[in-house]
Amino acid sequence: MTDLLTWFAAPIRRRPLVRLLVAAQVLYVLGVAGAGYATTELGQHIMLTTTPIDPRDLLYGDFVRLHYGISEVPLHLWHGEEAPRRRQSIFVLLATGPDSLSTAVGVYPQAPKPSVGQAVLRGWVTEVYRNSLSLRYNLERYYVPEGSGLRLEKAGRLHPLQVRVSIAPWGQARITDVDVAK
Amino acid sequence: MSRKFLENESPGWVTDGLISEAQRQKLLARYPPEAQALGLLPILGSVLVGLSGLSVVAANWQALPAALRLALLLGSLLGSYGAGAYFLRRGNADLGHGLIGLGLLLFGASIILTSQLYQLVGYDASGLLAWVVAGTALSYVYGSRLLVLLTVLIGAAVQTYCVESLGSFSYATAWLVVGGLGYYWWRRPGVVSSHVLAVGLLWQAGLLVIALHAKITWFFVPAMLVYAAGDWQPNRSGGRALQAAPLTAAYIFMFGLATFGETDAYANVLRPPLLPYLAALGAVFALSAAGKRVQGRLASLPDWLLLLPGFYLSGGLPLAVATLVVLYAHAGSVLARAHRDQDSDQLTIGAVLFVAATMVAYFKLTWGFLDKSVFFLLGGVLLLSLSWYLRRRTARLVAANAAAAPSQPLATPAQPGDEPAPTAPTE
Repeated sequence: MTDLLTWFAAPIRRRPLVRLLVAAQVLYVLGVAGAGYATTELGQHIMLTTTPIDPRDLLYGDFVRLHYGISEVPLHLWHGEEAPRRRQSIFVLLATGPDSLSTAVGVYPQAPKPSVGQAVLRGWVTEVYRNSLSLRYNLERYYVPEGSGLRLEKAGRLHPLQVRVSIAPWGQARITDVDVAK
Repeated sequence: MSRKFLENESPGWVTDGLISEAQRQKLLARYPPEAQALGLLPILGSVLVGLSGLSVVAANWQALPAALRLALLLGSLLGSYGAGAYFLRRGNADLGHGLIGLGLLLFGASIILTSQLYQLVGYDASGLLAWVVAGTALSYVYGSRLLVLLTVLIGAAVQTYCVESLGSFSYATAWLVVGGLGYYWWRRPGVVSSHVLAVGLLWQAGLLVIALHAKITWFFVPAMLVYAAGDWQPNRSGGRALQAAPLTAAYIFMFGLATFGETDAYANVLRPPLLPYLAALGAVFALSAAGKRVQGRLASLPDWLLLLPGFYLSGGLPLAVATLVVLYAHAGSVLARAHRDQDSDQLTIGAVLFVAATMVAYFKLTWGFLDKSVFFLLGGVLLLSLSWYLRRRTARLVAANAAAAPSQPLATPAQPGDEPAPTAPTE
């Protein structure tokens, strides 16, 4: 086999190879969808609250912008050897309180071991302030089904929203539900 | 030669007795009018229909049930691959490759939209890595320049997303571009794909430097590795095309250093630890020189002048003078090589580089103390005489080429008294 390219492009192999490639792509997309279901089915469920933000910013086309209570954490929760840096990826240890809402109890550069009633959510540092850290979880956008966005937006102006998040055992997180806090 | 040109000009050839009327008819028959304009209409029509369908779907995307959305994505993916294969079988390679490229883009869109559909958070490149893998594999199977270009772009986009949004550099993506497309380039060093690949590789290198928070001068180590790969490429034009982008980057850097490098504030950000940097760059230089030796291209060794780490000099006059000397020496080496190879394109580039170096030198050294009118007068005279001199040289070279061409184009050496010495005004 002198040239990998001629081997790949040989007419006898091209058709089966292309079929294989296209089938793999379809399966991959289906796999992404499957990961979505699996995260909900197998994952740990936590409840987070949002803080109301500038109402003009809240509804962006098809999605609602969410700003969580755990988006800002005090700096003393940081458990790293070195000072946190912007854009660094981090792990937030969450503990569920008596009101079944989760709050941050620690921010780690490496994944910590959660005990019972705790969960780990991955995120990124967006800004480092003198006494606090601003974090991002890529859960800040909720793509709402048609029509319900407006209801959430109006509610989010006045009351915090409750966001249900599923965290899969392999670390993948997804929003499963957004509702007005009771 | 276009058919239109032939139709317009051939009657004159018959009148001038160059060809007979019968020969003219034969020539016209050899180049039939192209039917492509007609073939374009149905394509344009289907594009419009497709766009209308797309906008209907896009407007109602959120309202569609999840399964239907997934089916739509996968359906269009399969549709474009199928249509691409169909047109390739029919012999319409451009349209076929275009549709397969569309399929590849739809694959990426499907990954992104599906994870959005299930509100999945991306933590690393693994989700999008499959996109780069698919692009590389399709480039191999179809051997199409368009797919190579798309894959380089996809690799750049995925890496940019990783570094900017996820704060990490995806080495897997970088290795796929370097290894997968690099091997492709090694076997099929087309000029266009070489340029595209070089820019894509420099993009990856730049993002790596950003992700590692390293001094920006480290960029030139991977950039010059790309250059060195061009030295080992047996195909001369393909190798040269791969080298254009790293050389341009090095030149811009040196030019910037000559123009703005006086204040030490800039130079300080540029200085990596001396020994590791020089060792790394020296190793790449050795690799490049070895490649040049093997392929018999040692004449292009002065390209490396641009990599002299002048930023280790303290800012101010020493740095300004040193960078100017380097810019002149480089321009001179390009002119000299162009002259030896009798390459008029390179000669033009050399002349432009020479004028650029002169402009920098002139602005740097005289702006402070010359009266403004004298400053502009001097600059004008300098440029005019330079252009006259270079034009004379080019004209002589072209004449020498024309004289040498009929007899033995390669055995004729450059005129002995004509040693390239660009700074010497006359001979």
